[in-house]
Amino acid sequence: MGSLSLRLVSSRDQEEQEVVVEEKSSSFVRILTLNRPKQLNALSLQMICRLWDLFLAYEQDPNVKIVILKGKGRAFCAGGDVASVVRDINQGKWRSGAEFFRKEYMLNFVMATYRKPQVSILNGIVMGGGAGASIHGRFRVATENSVFAMPETALGLFPDVGASYYLSRLPGFFGEYVGLTGTRLDGAEMLACGLATHFVPSARLSMLEAALCKVNSTDPAIISAIIDEYSQQPNIKERSAYRRLDVIDRCFSRRTVEDILYSLEREVIDKEDEWISATIESLKKASPTSLKISLRSIREGRLQGVGQCLVREYRMVYHVLQGEVSKDFSEGCRAILIDKDKKPKWEPSNLELISDSMVDMYFSKVNDEEFEDLKLPARSNLPVSAIAKL
Amino acid sequence: MNRAIQRTQILNGHLLSSSPSQSSSLSQKPCLNYNPPELTESYEFDLGEMRKLLDGHNLEDRDWLFGLMLQSRLFNPRERGGKVFVSPDYNQSMEQQREMTMKRIQYLAERGVFTGWLTSRGIESELRMLAFIDVLAIFDHSLSVKIGVQFFLWGGAIEFFGTKSHHDKWLRDTENYVINGCFAMSELGHGSNVRGIETVTTYDTKREEFVISTPCESAQKYWIGGAANHTTHTVVFSQLNINGRNQGVHAFIAQIRDAGNLCPNIRIADCGHKIGLNGVDNGRIWFDNVRIPRENLLNSVADVTPDGKYMSAIKDPDQRFTAFLAPLTSGRVTIASTAVYQSKIGLAIAIRYSLTRRAFSVTPNGPEVLLLDYPSHQRRLLPLLAKTYAMSFAANYLKMIYVKRTPESNKTIHVISSAFKAVLTWHNMRTLQECREACGGQGLKTENRVGHLKAEYDVQSTFEGDNNVLMQQVSKALLAQYIAARKRNKPFQGFGLEHMNRPCPVIPSQLTSSVLRSSQFQTNAFCLRERDLLNRFAAEVSQHQSKGESKENAFLLSYQLADDLGRAFSDRSIFQTFIEAEATVSDFPLKNVLGLLRSMYALICMEEEVAFLRYGYLSTNNAAAVRKEVTKLCSELRPHALGLVSSLGIPDAFLSPIAFNWVDVNSWSSVKN
Repeated sequence: MGSLSLRLVSSRDQEEQEVVVEEKSSSFVRILTLNRPKQLNALSLQMICRLWDLFLAYEQDPNVKIVILKGKGRAFCAGGDVASVVRDINQGKWRSGAEFFRKEYMLNFVMATYRKPQVSILNGIVMGGGAGASIHGRFRVATENSVFAMPETALGLFPDVGASYYLSRLPGFFGEYVGLTGTRLDGAEMLACGLATHFVPSARLSMLEAALCKVNSTDPAIISAIIDEYSQQPNIKERSAYRRLDVIDRCFSRRTVEDILYSLEREVIDKEDEWISATIESLKKASPTSLKISLRSIREGRLQGVGQCLVREYRMVYHVLQGEVSKDFSEGCRAILIDKDKKPKWEPSNLELISDSMVDMYFSKVNDEEFEDLKLPARSNLPVSAIAKL
Repeated sequence: MNRAIQRTQILNGHLLSSSPSQSSSLSQKPCLNYNPPELTESYEFDLGEMRKLLDGHNLEDRDWLFGLMLQSRLFNPRERGGKVFVSPDYNQSMEQQREMTMKRIQYLAERGVFTGWLTSRGIESELRMLAFIDVLAIFDHSLSVKIGVQFFLWGGAIEFFGTKSHHDKWLRDTENYVINGCFAMSELGHGSNVRGIETVTTYDTKREEFVISTPCESAQKYWIGGAANHTTHTVVFSQLNINGRNQGVHAFIAQIRDAGNLCPNIRIADCGHKIGLNGVDNGRIWFDNVRIPRENLLNSVADVTPDGKYMSAIKDPDQRFTAFLAPLTSGRVTIASTAVYQSKIGLAIAIRYSLTRRAFSVTPNGPEVLLLDYPSHQRRLLPLLAKTYAMSFAANYLKMIYVKRTPESNKTIHVISSAFKAVLTWHNMRTLQECREACGGQGLKTENRVGHLKAEYDVQSTFEGDNNVLMQQVSKALLAQYIAARKRNKPFQGFGLEHMNRPCPVIPSQLTSSVLRSSQFQTNAFCLRERDLLNRFAAEVSQHQSKGESKENAFLLSYQLADDLGRAFSDRSIFQTFIEAEATVSDFPLKNVLGLLRSMYALICMEEEVAFLRYGYLSTNNAAAVRKEVTKLCSELRPHALGLVSSLGIPDAFLSPIAFNWVDVNSWSSVKN
């Protein structure tokens, strides 16, 4: 990269190191690198704030036409830094946890309605908050190293960061499958279902980056054509869930989580099927409360705009943090992230114990004087290309 | 002078522009930009809470079903201006539309939408079913009608008229679409007058079979939904003739198709292309001495023994007959409710369009004015919106009394469902027409839905009881109530007529704004009108009778008052459901806007309904005050317009392109794609 002058905007304090900015001479492209490789680039509150500032500034800056977002190391971004949120909750400071989600969702909204193309290079792990920081953008480039998942139901949370918007817009009921089971998708599957817009072998990424740096346009068609030049049509592996869309559509289209499980179980009554059994198992391992609120969230999201989805998800996450119905989020984080015993004790412990009115609670107005609904920034005169992405 | 300069500039532009390249000339200033109304409009109430109040029940289930339709190619999703819309392709031939409707039903059945519709009864499952019908009708009327025939008419007939053996034999297979049923009641010569149908069934004691026949052309079964292509079985309504004695109308099950072929002695013809609803295969059926087993008589009301004896628990043939009309009640409930949802679609589209489309400037060179900022445009759409809100509460009330029905409440349900079915469907046609015109030329495009819905929903004023006939029945029932109360000198009870027991309300001669907006005044005005019309109607009928006219004839001669009374009853009943809905709300911003809507509903009824002036319930001064208040209410509702249509529970994908970015939808680049 001899021809490129790499300029760290500032290296003094830690918050800026966590997002490295590259600005190449005489280029209209800004490259932002998530730089917390040890934590798999999990988004800290500082990183979120930094990205927020940068994205808003670039939108106004006529010298910026494209924003590239990538991660250092083997992850693009493994999610929001929920461990610190849980620490807050456990110290009774759950409102500062809520603050983290508020900022994160606002960033997701800006990305989802961004006027300029965001190109995310997903060369590694893309999970939870990492998906929120990329899927809402115009271009998502997967590679053979991509691993995508929305694992929140195993953590006692629900697929947030606007996932109820993009998961619900995947083909058929694939979004319900991905969101409820937390299954992992590779780059080829991401491309097939539309989570990725392109698949570029990782060996060609530096060439792609160099080519993008020469672009002097925000026209999505032009940028898409350039990425196309480096793209490949990957093969979907033999045992891919994407080859099971018929079963997924049949079962995950059911009205309730109970019906979904029941229909999956019926599929394996008289014939063995490893994939279905694994699917059932992952549903049984997840927090029952999470499953119920996640399903409803995805289904409401299917009929809502991305802004409405984020506002609703913020209400939901606030209820999760308040823990009125269930404290599964703390328990999930304890079992998976802190104690790592991987044996969460969900409460309520099974689906039958969770009534409709308990689920309703998560979607209702928050009864807390300090609570305020997510106030989305006004985004006027957006071109169609800024609104319709997935 | 100004104009001359402007024209010169335009001409100059034409002559001097070197190349008419699109990017420079098409995207410059004088062109209109689409601004989403969400950016400029603000409202103070919570949209989710308002939707809950309007939809009333099963919101999560509704969203699930909307999602099921959105996620399948069968529902014809199209991307327009960056948004996906679903709607049937009405440019398909009648045959194609029918096949698509059937395929959609199959898809929904496979996903469990109809689970429990006939096999698990109870308030909860009935309400879910009613919610699903609302949602299906939002996508397409043919879809909901075809499903309605299967479950409410065919399934309902077996449920209501059949006994356990019929239930066991038919209901599960019906729910799973193993059997596809239809409902052969109407004939070419007899529609609303079911009692007069001419199909005849006799009993053959030797073979223990019934024999159904169509004795003449006017007895051919007509408009039978599903008969032309898809159904395998039908419920046949027929006179039952036992040993030469006519026992009146009874219902029988007959198979009409077997493995796709017509059964022996059945002739079927197509009703042909219609002005709408072409996804439903309406057919005509002739029965040429069709033999069916004795068990196929639906025998909850009456039975025939193997040796041919007629037996019935209900001695009075009139009462027997009334029992047979029960399934039509459920039909009227769903028709009333789905009609309101179509008005919602029309208004959501027309009002969203009017919040983004501009026309004419008020000052020279000034910006053009948003359609909904014209007081006249507000007056066209906002009262209809208030009425639609009121009728939404009315439909919810009707659904609730329907699912909680008891033998004692049947009469009330019959009267209320008749009145609401008529008024809500008439309101829908009127609303759709106004919305179509309010969208100008755009309203004429099929893809924009408003105009096309008129054709699809016109039938609602006719099927399950002609609206005019239903309204006469309402007045007749009220008169019976009146006579019963007066004769026995007992207070009025039922149909909401209890207000008749109280002193006659007085309308103040000076109507201030605050009086006009008080629910007490509004209630008084509606009650006064109903009370007086009921008195007048009773007096006129008895006057005719005293001159020697028969009761029936006296009733026919008093049709004008009957009509006025029917409407008075409906308006007052609808108003009451609004008051009740309002009372359940405590949130201030929500209560505030509901108050505006309720006043608008009450006052627009007073303004539009001639009876208020004709019979002097309002003085001309009063009427002028009402009229003035309506315009004030229009301007007060105007800021809430977007919020009010965003709470209607119709997802964006089920509205239409002009409700959103109509500039992009119509851009040259969208033509190329």
